[in-house]
Amino acid sequence: MSAGVCFVALSVLRAWFLKYFFLNLYVILSMSADLLRLYVLKYYGLESPQYEYAYYYTDCLLTVALFVAVISLASRVFGELNLTRYVRFVAVLLLLGTVGFSYAVVAQSTERLATRFALELSQNLYFVGLVLTYLLWGAVLKLKETRTRLVQMVLSLGLYFSAYAGCYALVNLAPKYEVVQYLAPILGCFLPISWSLTIMRHSEDSRLIPARLVAVPR
Amino acid sequence: MSRKLGAMALALGILVGAMGLKTLVTTRSNSAVVMANGVSPVPPIKNLPPAN
Repeated sequence: MSAGVCFVALSVLRAWFLKYFFLNLYVILSMSADLLRLYVLKYYGLESPQYEYAYYYTDCLLTVALFVAVISLASRVFGELNLTRYVRFVAVLLLLGTVGFSYAVVAQSTERLATRFALELSQNLYFVGLVLTYLLWGAVLKLKETRTRLVQMVLSLGLYFSAYAGCYALVNLAPKYEVVQYLAPILGCFLPISWSLTIMRHSEDSRLIPARLVAVPR
Repeated sequence: MSRKLGAMALALGILVGAMGLKTLVTTRSNSAVVMANGVSPVPPIKNLPPAN
């Protein structure tokens, strides 16, 4: 939470709020969702339907916000090639396609269709975001993008998605170990912390060569 | 026009890739869910009926 506050405060104080609007929006929504979840958790308990509804609906909203944040970074990467319009077009198609696919999966369900749909959409968008982030990283390398902030933000998103995928694998491989259940909530802090560090340590004019990040030193 | 077709093909490719990856990952799953947001504990999904 404090990392999120730090990121938003830095963005506002240094007048980058609008420049990284969708990243800020995600962090603000994430903090609000956490507050709402904590409130519901405190008053209704972990196994209550109220907490379940609050959790899955806010998660769906946050996944859509994260998807939009990935698209905003893609727009910036492809902006210099004047491909922003097409990036938005692909984003809309992806969102509509994912919504359609999720609905097709849950359409047979007769009970609690909306909750099941929110859960399915959240899961599907997560995987779309994962694939999109790796494609974006490929584009960053191919286009020789040098803006440090942009490169580090894309990298941190890639790490975040990958860490969750690893976490998911661990949950499936070792469900009996309770510690695995706590890994995902701990990872929730990663994105605001890494974005805050990026914004604090690097100026807008900082440049790096991404090829150096993947080159194996000999 | 060709760029729009290319964008549509790209979107379709990403969607197919993502759903394929999800199917691959969840085939051997124990119905656990991937929750990628926030620090709150994940509620048990036992209350939710299966999709089919």
